[in-house]
Amino acid sequence: MSRLEVYSPEGLRMDGRRWNELRRFETSINTHSHASDGSSYLEQGNNKIITLVKGPTEPTLRSQLDQTKATLQITVNLTKFSKFERSKTTGSTKNERRILEIQTALVRTFEKNLMLNLYPRTIIDIEIHVLQQDGGVLGTLINGITLACIDAGIAMYDYISGVSIGLYDTTPLLDVNSLEEAAMSCVTLGVMGKSEKLSLLQVEDKLPLDRLENVLAIGIAGAHRIRDLMDEALRNHAQKRISNASNK
Amino acid sequence: MSEVISVVARNGAFQKNMITESFESDNSDNSDNEDYNMSGSDDDEEKPATRQIASDSDIMTPGELITDDPVWMRGHGTYFLENKTYSSVAGTVSKVNKLLSVIPLKSRYAPETGDHVVGRIAEVSNKRWKVDIGGKQHAILMLGSVNLPGGILRRKSESDELQMRSFLKEGDLLNAEVQSLFQDGAASLHTRSLKYGKLRNGMFVEVPNSLIVRSKNHTHNLPGNITVVLGVNGYIWLRMTSKMDLARDMPPGGSTQTSGGSMGPTGAVSLNPNSNISITRLEEESSWKIYSDENDPNITNAIKQTISRYANIIKALAFCEIGITQERIVIRYEASMAYNDIGSLIQRDNMENIGQEVLNAEKMRGSAA
Repeated sequence: MSRLEVYSPEGLRMDGRRWNELRRFETSINTHSHASDGSSYLEQGNNKIITLVKGPTEPTLRSQLDQTKATLQITVNLTKFSKFERSKTTGSTKNERRILEIQTALVRTFEKNLMLNLYPRTIIDIEIHVLQQDGGVLGTLINGITLACIDAGIAMYDYISGVSIGLYDTTPLLDVNSLEEAAMSCVTLGVMGKSEKLSLLQVEDKLPLDRLENVLAIGIAGAHRIRDLMDEALRNHAQKRISNASNK
Repeated sequence: MSEVISVVARNGAFQKNMITESFESDNSDNSDNEDYNMSGSDDDEEKPATRQIASDSDIMTPGELITDDPVWMRGHGTYFLENKTYSSVAGTVSKVNKLLSVIPLKSRYAPETGDHVVGRIAEVSNKRWKVDIGGKQHAILMLGSVNLPGGILRRKSESDELQMRSFLKEGDLLNAEVQSLFQDGAASLHTRSLKYGKLRNGMFVEVPNSLIVRSKNHTHNLPGNITVVLGVNGYIWLRMTSKMDLARDMPPGGSTQTSGGSMGPTGAVSLNPNSNISITRLEEESSWKIYSDENDPNITNAIKQTISRYANIIKALAFCEIGITQERIVIRYEASMAYNDIGSLIQRDNMENIGQEVLNAEKMRGSAA
């Protein structure tokens, strides 16, 4: 059996997972309490990201001021050392088209989920640093933002959990890594809580329409599992804080 | 990879019967049954829990159902959808009469009328200062709600507007009281008392606002000739005790016993009762002095060190997430004399020790709340 078989006849993927298995999911909350109002560190497989939420605060520019709701601003910093090979581009990657696209997708996803109308005339600034990436980054970014926003105490309707699903021949593969992502067409989902409402659906490749339903089904199930994992981590964190606070 | 996180396709409303046989057969040989059971039991738990309501100590997370009983009024941290009340933040449930709200684990300072806050001038604009008080929005301090040099009964003139920067400029620290709140939750401040105003002769410390409990008095004289202003917004000012601070601690009526002076901190300057300043006699004190940028020339190195000792004690208490009160600061100050090096107070293990000792001491005295 070739080492680089995407999906072996035995039903194992390159990293030894089955088709319906998520990657390792580890998170810590409130990691940067001095630098931000809410923060999280998330490892989803080999994706490693730091998310900082600053705000709601007074906007620095008049143009950012909205009389009726908070302005949401998301900055993604894909570090140059985050991939297998150091990216060779000189200068800042800030204005790269791909990154602007990710930022817009994230803002669109979260401005409907966060209750921005509760914070008029303020700005919520979210800053994400991707330390290492290994496929399905957009999904990981969504999870990181959800956790950091909850930590910041910003009101939201529900969790949003993100996950990427690839389609290999007829088999959907849950939570793809970078090798799988390069080898097949992928879908990224953002799912609201335990519902089947999608707040993000990103398809960048061609995909047979009759397979989409299967892909979404396993994607939603995977996203629900991620929601549970985030919820568990959050409750553990909350329990610690509350037991501390009872010492007041 | 130590643990395997696997997922089974659920039979949700979305799929109807679209899951193919291959999905099902794949599931059967996986040990995913617990996942099935888990999602099943979740739904079961939610149903009986609906009529009665989550108890105070329960942690709610966003999107979690609190109650489907429509008699509850919905407060902060909740939202209402199809006759059901859900949580919108992570925190604990609070019930006041019929008002239901969820208090987040942490959030920015939300001003309330009467709060004693410490703030920093962020902007000077038309007839007002914008003050950063650590809230969602800057607070507003109107030119009309400060004491200007020349007495309380003086009319505000155009020249006052022009020289606003000579009273308070960007970066200046002040303490003030929240006078009122605007519709959108922003605060309006006032400094119309001699206990409020520009801050000098000291050092600024910031702690999470949840650690400061609202109380009657937020200014305390501490041993070592130091006064602390515990702003409700988590901003703290430590300064050398002034005559004003001592006067505040004197028994009312301006009695002439020296007991007032000896009640004050150890080593405090002895107070001449005749030079006692009444807080109500604004005219005498409303001179340019109250807006001076100059520190008192009499601050000795010893006082500076005591101030930094207190600052480090407060940082250590905040690190351990222990509520900050005058009693705790004083207890820790006395105990901290064991550490000669003030800087060592904020080393991680020392901070942990300090927190533990405070809690133990309170347990021993049985005064832990």
